[in-house]
Amino acid sequence: MTPPQDATPKPPKYPADLQASMILPKQRASPASSLASLPYRRSNPSLHKLFESTTSISGSRPSSGTATPTASVVPGSVFSPGARQNGTGTPSTLPPGVSDEHRTLIQRAFVPHVSVLADAETEEMIRGKGLEGGLLQLLRPFGETVPGKVTIRDSIGASKSHEDFGIRFVNPNDGLGLPSQAGSGPTLHIDTANGQRDSARISSSSVRPRKVGGDVAQIEELVDRHLQYSEFNTHDPVPDYLNQGEPAAQSDSSSSPFYTLYLRRLLSGLPTVPHETFSHPVASIIAVSSKNPNPTEEFRRLYARQRDGDLRLPQWIDNEYLRYYVLVHEEETGDVTKSSQQFDSMKRHFGLNCHLLRLKSQQCIVSDDDAVRLPTCEWMSASEELAEIQQRETTDDITDPTPYIPDSDVTAIRTFVRELVAQSVIPHMERHVALWNDQVLARRRGISGRFMSLSKRWTPFGSSRNSSSPAMGSSNSNYDSLQGFYRPDAPEALMRKLADYCFMLRDWKLSLSTYDILRSDFQNDKAWRHYAGAAEMAALSALMSTAPLSSKTRTENIDTLIEAASYSYTDRQRSAAPYYALRTLALGLELLRLRGSSAADDAARWAARALEIGLVGAIGSALFTERVSACYAVRTGIGSLHLGSRRRKAAFWAIMAAEAWFRLEKALQAEKCLDTALRLSGTRAESKEGGAVGLPFPQMQAFIDDLRQQILGLRLQMRGYDEEGDEEEVRQSLEVEEATETLDKSPRAHRKSLIGAAPPMVVGPLSPALERGDEKGHDRFE
Amino acid sequence: MSYTFTILSPTDTPLFTHEFGTSRSGGDGIARFTTAERAQNPFILHSALDIVEEAQWGQSTTATSAPMYLKHIDKYQNNFISCWITGGNVRFLLLTRPRDEALGLGSGGSGGGGARGSLAGGRAGLAGGAGLYSPTSPATEEAVKNFFVDVYEAWLKTIMNPFFHVGNGEVVKSPVFRARVAAAAKKYL
Repeated sequence: MTPPQDATPKPPKYPADLQASMILPKQRASPASSLASLPYRRSNPSLHKLFESTTSISGSRPSSGTATPTASVVPGSVFSPGARQNGTGTPSTLPPGVSDEHRTLIQRAFVPHVSVLADAETEEMIRGKGLEGGLLQLLRPFGETVPGKVTIRDSIGASKSHEDFGIRFVNPNDGLGLPSQAGSGPTLHIDTANGQRDSARISSSSVRPRKVGGDVAQIEELVDRHLQYSEFNTHDPVPDYLNQGEPAAQSDSSSSPFYTLYLRRLLSGLPTVPHETFSHPVASIIAVSSKNPNPTEEFRRLYARQRDGDLRLPQWIDNEYLRYYVLVHEEETGDVTKSSQQFDSMKRHFGLNCHLLRLKSQQCIVSDDDAVRLPTCEWMSASEELAEIQQRETTDDITDPTPYIPDSDVTAIRTFVRELVAQSVIPHMERHVALWNDQVLARRRGISGRFMSLSKRWTPFGSSRNSSSPAMGSSNSNYDSLQGFYRPDAPEALMRKLADYCFMLRDWKLSLSTYDILRSDFQNDKAWRHYAGAAEMAALSALMSTAPLSSKTRTENIDTLIEAASYSYTDRQRSAAPYYALRTLALGLELLRLRGSSAADDAARWAARALEIGLVGAIGSALFTERVSACYAVRTGIGSLHLGSRRRKAAFWAIMAAEAWFRLEKALQAEKCLDTALRLSGTRAESKEGGAVGLPFPQMQAFIDDLRQQILGLRLQMRGYDEEGDEEEVRQSLEVEEATETLDKSPRAHRKSLIGAAPPMVVGPLSPALERGDEKGHDRFE
Repeated sequence: MSYTFTILSPTDTPLFTHEFGTSRSGGDGIARFTTAERAQNPFILHSALDIVEEAQWGQSTTATSAPMYLKHIDKYQNNFISCWITGGNVRFLLLTRPRDEALGLGSGGSGGGGARGSLAGGRAGLAGGAGLYSPTSPATEEAVKNFFVDVYEAWLKTIMNPFFHVGNGEVVKSPVFRARVAAAAKKYL
């Protein structure tokens, strides 16, 4: 038998004799009938578009995802002359087949958040355009990549341009707090309490799911949906990730698109929490429609509400963020002269921090000349995407519900975003970095600062001005241990903010040193969650930086940092945060893996750690097992003997991954892993005679053969429904029969798992011994 | 505590495999692998060869020459692997799967685990529980070393047999050798 490929499996030949064909159609019919009733089997074009769009995003860096052995010419590698991120490539030469993809992903995940607030008229107008989510929904996709290059000046005055800079438009109240573990499940979080607070609120959060990520269970469920979709649509002639299952893509051990999706969703919708300020707003847009009789008054009112009123964020968020005022002008009915007059007076008031956004108010339909589909958000949280998938599955509507907007709007919004970022947000951040660097960090670093931090522990320092928080008076530090945060004006909070700003502005060096100082401060205060956060980000900054990293510093610093972060996130106190621990390990391993050779060992170790302490669910563990294999595979060894390679380790983990995928009934993934494993072991899948594979242990060989047959069986069952017309191609094959017997035994289990969310862990016998027994039992069929 | 002992030729072919359990502290010398674990064992051993190759050329801990006993070299989940390497680049691998209690996983915890643990279990465990298995504790290392020394002696006698071509990857079938390995296992592990 030929080695089966992912995308184009050879249809097996069935025996032509009567007896066998009496058996076979029966079992093939049952999956077919059950599949037809499945909601996601419905080939709904709009649903397909959703899945497809997500995957096309997976390779959103045009070619860095397809890392073939010629990856050194891919943009994103240091070798390419016109590298898009100049100077940000990893210093050590990327090993062949390794792409910078995940580093870019991480870089793009931690970006400034901008909250959006609009008055009732604006919301009304945009809802009239068919965007239920209001202004936020309209702006959100465009914030993800700022058009053109963005130049950032770092703390030492050197400026760098980045092409992939972005911001996130958020409703800040969406992301508050960590999602509760109890509520994590197929049910969506519905935030009615926030939604009823005000009618002019940006997103109608009473109908939309939470826009906050950080829920591992939901991420897993989402990736599972994507996987199922891929399993069932193998033969659809559509371009999606399945067609990447070609032999060329198989040789790429660097990443599966699903793993990238997992990472992306892990980093999407960072929850707003006290111990890190990434999702605290850097700026806030206040939008008022020009139809409003008195826009200035409305601006003032909204600002006051945001500052002290009902839209005030929790007290641990610094309230002094940048306000950006937008006058929304409606092209059709509005009066341009009046609007521009109004805008001129705004400019006198607010300087650069205002914009006149001209939008069309009527609804746009597909057939319009200049209609542009509203882009899908790359960085929506898992719960949001799940909700969207569910919504599209349940509606019978053939049409794509995504709204269309006129081309002129797109241009206007792009210009607006560009101006917002380049003229307001980034200068604002740079200014604050410089300010805090001078006033807070330098003071803390100097000799007096050290003394202060020492004396702080012995004298009641700063208790006078913190009268508002009750716990402050008793404690000697600025840390409010009862409520678990620092006040936003405390030096620690400012420094954390400084470090986070540096990280977002990609000034890894300053952020590293700041996080380091913070780490010791937090440790003294026993603020463990903060401590873990600082350790995590310190490790990431060190790994993100382009400076070469000696193996000594790596083992001494980075390992301790990652260790400390993952430990403090999980073990300390009762308030464990497994999401953050997983994030630490996953990002740490990706960045370590990029550094090649011995760092890849560490990467594999962290991945194995994530598996061991059970941070991931079933899907995640399969993905991470696969990832361990990829980490080991990066290490190629020296010389012709490949001394120091981790070939066998990689093969072993790939087989483990194949087994894990098989248990999850993901035949395509399982097969892919198995092929990777065999390639790594230096054996071809099967020779023409159907045997003679050079694995050293006979038991290993038996195990692999069994696994392959069972996977084949699973595949047959999965696509049993579209085999109907292929009878003439049917060919007698031992494997096929054996595999179908396995299926015959538990069709119920398979079917149930397809409908339900949680697939059963063990399906069919996996052990060679049992399988042998099976074979004997069914010998009468042959 | 269950063990799998495997001798691998320089070309990674398994020459001899023996599975046994601990005989210390009332153990009956029978391996207690589950079916899934038993299927996994060859993979774990095979993958450990990567680490063996690394450790074999690493700087030696003793001043004189590279040691034959490489001690504990690798770990997969709860399986610990120790290695002995002969002059002819034949690798002896011992996979140790401690009982769950000895790892602190069982419901009983570390209370009773230490008392019934075998010598190789090592009394000086981690800081957490007294009875936890630690592959690097001196007692464990010594026990495994003694076992390897005995097996090595038997191995030398086996390959001195002029009718046994170890270079050809010939599998050891001698019952005497197996008996000696079993005896060494019973004595030390």
